[in-house]
Amino acid sequence: MYGRKGCQLLKELSSSEKGHLPQFNSDLFEQVFAECSQHHLELQSLIRKMQEEGLDVQTAKNADHHGALIHHLALVRNKRCLMAYVYNRADNVRSLLWKIGHVLPKEIEEKLSHSEEVYFKKHSARLKSYMSSLQVDLTVDMVPPKDPYIKIRVLDDIGEGIVLSDDKTANFARHSIHFLKRTDAEQFISRGLMEELTG
Amino acid sequence: MAKYYDIDDIITEEETVSVIFQKAASGVGIDPSAEMDFVEAGSKVELPFWLAHELHLRQAVSVNVPLCFNQKTRLEIQADSASVDLRSRCPFFYEFGCKMAPLVADRTIGFLLLSAFKSRYKEVLTKAHTASFEAGSKFWTILTKEEINLYETAQSAMASFKKWRIGGARFQIASILRRKRKPTE
Repeated sequence: MYGRKGCQLLKELSSSEKGHLPQFNSDLFEQVFAECSQHHLELQSLIRKMQEEGLDVQTAKNADHHGALIHHLALVRNKRCLMAYVYNRADNVRSLLWKIGHVLPKEIEEKLSHSEEVYFKKHSARLKSYMSSLQVDLTVDMVPPKDPYIKIRVLDDIGEGIVLSDDKTANFARHSIHFLKRTDAEQFISRGLMEELTG
Repeated sequence: MAKYYDIDDIITEEETVSVIFQKAASGVGIDPSAEMDFVEAGSKVELPFWLAHELHLRQAVSVNVPLCFNQKTRLEIQADSASVDLRSRCPFFYEFGCKMAPLVADRTIGFLLLSAFKSRYKEVLTKAHTASFEAGSKFWTILTKEEINLYETAQSAMASFKKWRIGGARFQIASILRRKRKPTE
């Protein structure tokens, strides 16, 4: 049936777990694209046939007219599916910037198509230039702070010599516990390298 | 146009409707019973809603009431609305019903939707607050997408309320990096 593949593409996107981004399905995407071209060809051939029979394409309502209409509608439908796929993924890609930060982990980067990667990088550069003109880092303090310092535990070896905002360096060995400025810790927590200790 | 990019709206419109062609159409392969790429006037074909709707507007087809609003479903909803499996009938039962209602001669669809939703809504909210996780997940399988959203909202509201009372970690790993379950392929 016409338009089924386009809808499959979207079902794949909507059935993925909330907040997760599935791999860009370029294979199916190309197939829908090819379907569009096919509809376009058939639409043109039907219209040409009507013209050869000397009918007015605008007003004649014969079988060819309805055939052409169905191809036109299928084409518009497929376009909508493709647009929605790209649009909703772009939405998701933008939100990655706020959730994870300017550097994407490898396993997420693999799921993006090439143009989505470029889009992410450009979006990130724009945001950086905007924040530097404002002189405020908008990506930190997503949760309103209660205390400027928090206690954290390191979950993974991050490495030595990381410079914190107060110009001191810290050695974040695995399982070590630190008392940090929350703005320094926040990016590591959202990337899953540290966890906040409470109580 | 507001819903042009809405994935749920697009999937709702993929739901099939059986129609009867009033006009012939050539050069299209949508009738599986036809040998040629030609649909005769008077033939009965299953079409997705998006196509049926547009063709109906141009008086090329007449639309029948879809199966998920048939007499059997109505009787089940009247008997015990909360335990009817609406998901297997149509995951977007209410949205699809709203789209279908203006197309068919049947004027009772609106009333059916309203009464089904009203009585199921109560049950969804009660279960969301009281059911344990396993019982809840069994209950889930009969809900439509709209009802699942309600169910999850009710549960997350309760969870946030408890968290607010007790307190707890305010920072969390970004949900996209969390791996609770393996992705089901």
